Amino acid sequence: MSVLSAESRRDFEIHSYPVLIYALVPIAALVLQAWLPRVLGRFAWFDLPLVVTVFFALSRRNPIQGSLLGGAMGLFQDALTGHPIGINGIAKTLVGYLAASVGVLVNVENHAIRLVMTFVLSLVGSATYFFVVRFLLGMTIDTQWMAELYKAVGNSLIALVLFPVLDRTKIRD
Amino acid sequence: MESFFVRYRNLVVLLALLVAQILGLAMQVRRSSGGQAGDGHSVQLIRLWANSIVSPPEKALHSSGSGISGLWHSYVDLRHVRQQNADLQKTVDRLRLEQAALLEDAKQGQRLQALLNFQQKYIYKTVAAQTIGTSGTDQSRVFYIDKGKNEGIDRDMAVITADGIVGKIREVFPHTAQVLAINDQTSGAGVILEATRIRGILRGNGAGQPQIEDVIRDQRIKPGDNVLTAGGDQIFPRGLPVGVVDRVLNDPERDGFIEVVLKPAAHLDQLDEVLVITSTEPRFPPDQQQDIATSEALKGAEAEKQKTSEGMAEKLPGLIVPNVPPDQQPLNDTSNPTPVSRPPVALHPDRFTPGNATTPNLGTTPERSLSAPANDQSTPKKKPAPKAPENPGTKPPAAPQGENR
Repeated sequence: MSVLSAESRRDFEIHSYPVLIYALVPIAALVLQAWLPRVLGRFAWFDLPLVVTVFFALSRRNPIQGSLLGGAMGLFQDALTGHPIGINGIAKTLVGYLAASVGVLVNVENHAIRLVMTFVLSLVGSATYFFVVRFLLGMTIDTQWMAELYKAVGNSLIALVLFPVLDRTKIRD
Repeated sequence: MESFFVRYRNLVVLLALLVAQILGLAMQVRRSSGGQAGDGHSVQLIRLWANSIVSPPEKALHSSGSGISGLWHSYVDLRHVRQQNADLQKTVDRLRLEQAALLEDAKQGQRLQALLNFQQKYIYKTVAAQTIGTSGTDQSRVFYIDKGKNEGIDRDMAVITADGIVGKIREVFPHTAQVLAINDQTSGAGVILEATRIRGILRGNGAGQPQIEDVIRDQRIKPGDNVLTAGGDQIFPRGLPVGVVDRVLNDPERDGFIEVVLKPAAHLDQLDEVLVITSTEPRFPPDQQQDIATSEALKGAEAEKQKTSEGMAEKLPGLIVPNVPPDQQPLNDTSNPTPVSRPPVALHPDRFTPGNATTPNLGTTPERSLSAPANDQSTPKKKPAPKAPENPGTKPPAAPQGENR
């Protein structure tokens, strides 16, 4: 990890991407997240919108943008479920904020750090989701923590492949 | 103050976003707990927008054959083969892929044929639909079908397959609809165990298995028991297969109650084609419809006949009308075309013979019965039997009125 201060790291390592990438990647993630479980059945252990949120939050290093992107992705996911809208929104807003905030402090080019961050943030997202469902809404939903663990592992593996691919699309000075 | 917001701008924005979403959640929960069914207009609008964005690519993926798996087999795998083999090998692989595609088509054709057979035999009106997507999360077991309001789909319609029930329509969009599967934790369906006739409510559990809740512990419930729809929920017609009992667990929160975990009859994880019951009015095949029509016609004719006979009976005159002279009694009215059945002519007329007014009714007067000699009652005198007419054409003498006509 570098010893640069937070401000200087932010100045140096804010990545930009073509507008098309900002528009298409989140939508593709949402569409695939809705479609792939139909193909893979109960083995769909991943959350593509969360992976994309983490990627852009880490790359942009802006907590506000990370929160907004996470919130939008989460609300969109909620709209496709039968649950009240806002559960995933809250969880992913928090994930986006944390990813961007931590991204300011660490070297996000490191694959191991990305892997660990995606794993941890996936668990944070799941915990937030169940907190909102259980304690804010009072819904009785069983918690399958093993499935959430598998999902965190799946997200990390996808991030390991997806992040370098998306890195190639960034605009270089 | 300004410096505070500038300094903690990120945190303030985060809190604002979180508070806004929590407020939104609270409003939705308040609405649903207030007894209002379904989502509010704004929430429905958000769902509609999300569905409008996701459904077209999903439909495109679905209609482009096998979608991602098709891309994998048709492109990635083929490229790998091309690198390893000559043109001949490539041709063989292409033929194999085509064969696999044909096999898949044939399987799909068989599935559709089975579904069609079931649909034709099924007595309710149904619409066939294909699944095109899911909610994308394990916490919400909903999926989307390619039929919507324009095809006659509406909220709370039952979704089934030939194997068993699947779920109900939760949201309807113009060309798609959202189905809440029976293994979702927020779903609910009235079911009954076929053998023991025990009723319960079917919901999903955290592992995505449907289970019957609120069942009092009963030793008769065994794995393998069939479970059917009870029909009391106004969504699923009664008697449809739901699944079989997989295992029986004690309810961890309530003593004396159990949770009956089911193995669903329908393959909820691998749904391709489903049927939506759009009308619960019975829809019979043509031959059965003809039978029903014939039966109804017969029943109608019989009822009409009975009604006519009752009407005639009301119009028919009585045999004896009081305060009317004997010669004007309706029994003697020849204007009535309907012949009146009369009792046969008595061979031995006595005082009880109808119309024999000349014989005094002595036996019914108390004075007479008291003063009559005992031998009169013990050995009643037999009147001499009238002689049988030698000539059948001649009338017997002193025949009572009404008998000699």
